[in-house]
Amino acid sequence: MSNRPVPLLVARDLVKAHGSTPALRGARLELAAGEIVAVTGASGSGKSTLLHCLAGIVRPDGGAVTYAGERVDALPERRLSELRRTDFGVVFQFGQLIPELTALDNVALPLMLAGTAREAAQERAAGWLERFGAGERPGLRPGELSGGQAQRVALARALVTGPRVVFADEPTGALDSLASEQVMTALVHTARETGAAVLVVTHDAQVAAYADREVRLQDGVTAGLEVCA
Amino acid sequence: MRTDLRLAWLLVRGSDRQEWWRIALTAVGAMCATGLGLAAAALASVRGSRSSAFGHGLLDHPGERSGVIVALLLLLVPVLGFLGQCTRIGAVHRDRRAAALRLAGAEPGRVRRITALETGLACLLGSVLATAVAVPVLPAEWPRPSVPAWAGTVLVAAGVPVLGTAAGLLALRRVVASPLGWVRRNRPRSGRGVGPAFLGALLVVVAATVLAVASTSTGTAGSDDASGPLVVFAAVLAVGVGAVWLTGTFSGLTGRLLAARTGTPAVLIAAERLRDDPWAAARAHAAVLLVTVVGTGFVGVRQVLLAELEEMRRRHELGTDIAFYTTGVNLTAVAIGLALVIVLTALAVGAAESLATRRRGLAAQVAAGVPRPVLGRALLLETALPLAPAVLVAGLGGLAIGIGYARTGPDGSAGWSVPYAALLVPAGVYAACLLAAAASLPLLRRSVRPGQLRYA
Repeated sequence: MSNRPVPLLVARDLVKAHGSTPALRGARLELAAGEIVAVTGASGSGKSTLLHCLAGIVRPDGGAVTYAGERVDALPERRLSELRRTDFGVVFQFGQLIPELTALDNVALPLMLAGTAREAAQERAAGWLERFGAGERPGLRPGELSGGQAQRVALARALVTGPRVVFADEPTGALDSLASEQVMTALVHTARETGAAVLVVTHDAQVAAYADREVRLQDGVTAGLEVCA
Repeated sequence: MRTDLRLAWLLVRGSDRQEWWRIALTAVGAMCATGLGLAAAALASVRGSRSSAFGHGLLDHPGERSGVIVALLLLLVPVLGFLGQCTRIGAVHRDRRAAALRLAGAEPGRVRRITALETGLACLLGSVLATAVAVPVLPAEWPRPSVPAWAGTVLVAAGVPVLGTAAGLLALRRVVASPLGWVRRNRPRSGRGVGPAFLGALLVVVAATVLAVASTSTGTAGSDDASGPLVVFAAVLAVGVGAVWLTGTFSGLTGRLLAARTGTPAVLIAAERLRDDPWAAARAHAAVLLVTVVGTGFVGVRQVLLAELEEMRRRHELGTDIAFYTTGVNLTAVAIGLALVIVLTALAVGAAESLATRRRGLAAQVAAGVPRPVLGRALLLETALPLAPAVLVAGLGGLAIGIGYARTGPDGSAGWSVPYAALLVPAGVYAACLLAAAASLPLLRRSVRPGQLRYA
């Protein structure tokens, strides 16, 4: 009997091509509840495509993605949107914040989309901004924030609905080392607290070191698994 | 819906200065639509014959009033097209925002709804402004406006924002915002022709016109004359469609020929663009070409009509003051002129929008060393090359319609002269189209920066 916990998210033999260029060629991955997994690999190895397939942002050409017993790759668009509102949180390198909304409204947005009244949504959002050390000036717009601040706002937005899985695609790719450390510490700390699983795609060994496990991708195939300290 | 409206309001409120000009243009379009709608509603509420200080009696009788109402409502068509064009601009600027909304869990339809509601809010602003001007005017012209007049006012004032939202939804129906929209933008290639929607709309216009002419001609003396307007209408339509088709065909041909032979960078860039999507110019200029045919034909028809009226007045055969007829003719000229202004404005907006859409590709060319003046000349050539033969055909077709109308008049070919003045219309339209394209060039200098290539 294995001691590994029951996986929450499972990818089996994923195949995906962008036009005639193959991105994934039979990638496999398992993610248990509360687990932090880093996907690493060279540029062009298919790391981001794997994350997009797992988060239901992109449909794979072949293989299967199962989340809590549900086939994500076969879900209709409406259900995928619902999953992103409730169960999944997504963080990118940059670009996911809406420039017209304040930091507070950006974080409150997923709650508002789910039907929460604005005032209540803002109250919860303010709490999450405080938690990530970005609550001092909630009225600022993304263009007025530093890269590190914007990324912490993005993290707060990804976690505000209490997701079971957080997908982070190069979350520190545009930050200096100090800001990277702050963002990753905040992400890992919150994930441990809330029990959320985290899948982080990175090419940075320092970021990968925060994970429980590292999965290496090479030419679209999971090349090996390594248990981190 | 309430949440969507609230989000739309937050997005409008947070828009930066560059976005505000789009909102302002939309509000101006909505103001025009509301003004036209309110005028039509006010005229429709009048019952029976009554004297009016306006239009030399053109608004006094139900029959003529119906014609004016139809003309006012027809003018709504280019205005709605203009509003749709404004929404498209917003759609491009808001790609990144739409992707963020999708990442936060909004469905594609919801993103379109929020975007269309933003347009609705801008339309509401225009509608409120137009109504605020019209409401004090109505009691001044009609001492005791009837209940239907007020009901019509309320209906139009509320209907324009609703219609604006609906037009926005229609214009955005093909815009698919993916959660990765800011990373990768996969758009279907736009090598389509004029499309089934355009042909469908054309069929509706044809059917409505045939019905209108037939129903107003039966049972009246000289009902054989009904064939006249129908023939003119069919000729206008045939020439217009022919000119649109010629634009697409000539674009592809010019693109292929020039791309293989030219040694000038600007011509090469323009030729490759024309070869890549030969129907882009046809889609952009379809309305302009139709208005050119109508305008050129009308100048010829007007010349003949005025000559006939003058002759009838000289023989004392006119039943009423000649101003009654000339006012109608002049109002038609104003309506055509207004339609031309609206489609040319939409063209300028479309040109700026096209530039905004392609700014990354253009920035890459600038980064690779292509001078901005070369890109500017290429942009102008993309408009000038395919439009020249199409406008020529539209103008000559319109002129032929005018001549044909004159030769089939009551006096036959006696005393008519070729309305050469009509040829000023296609020349003016061509110059205006080039000006509209040139109006987007400052945007090329301001918005196309190689530094943008660091993002996305």
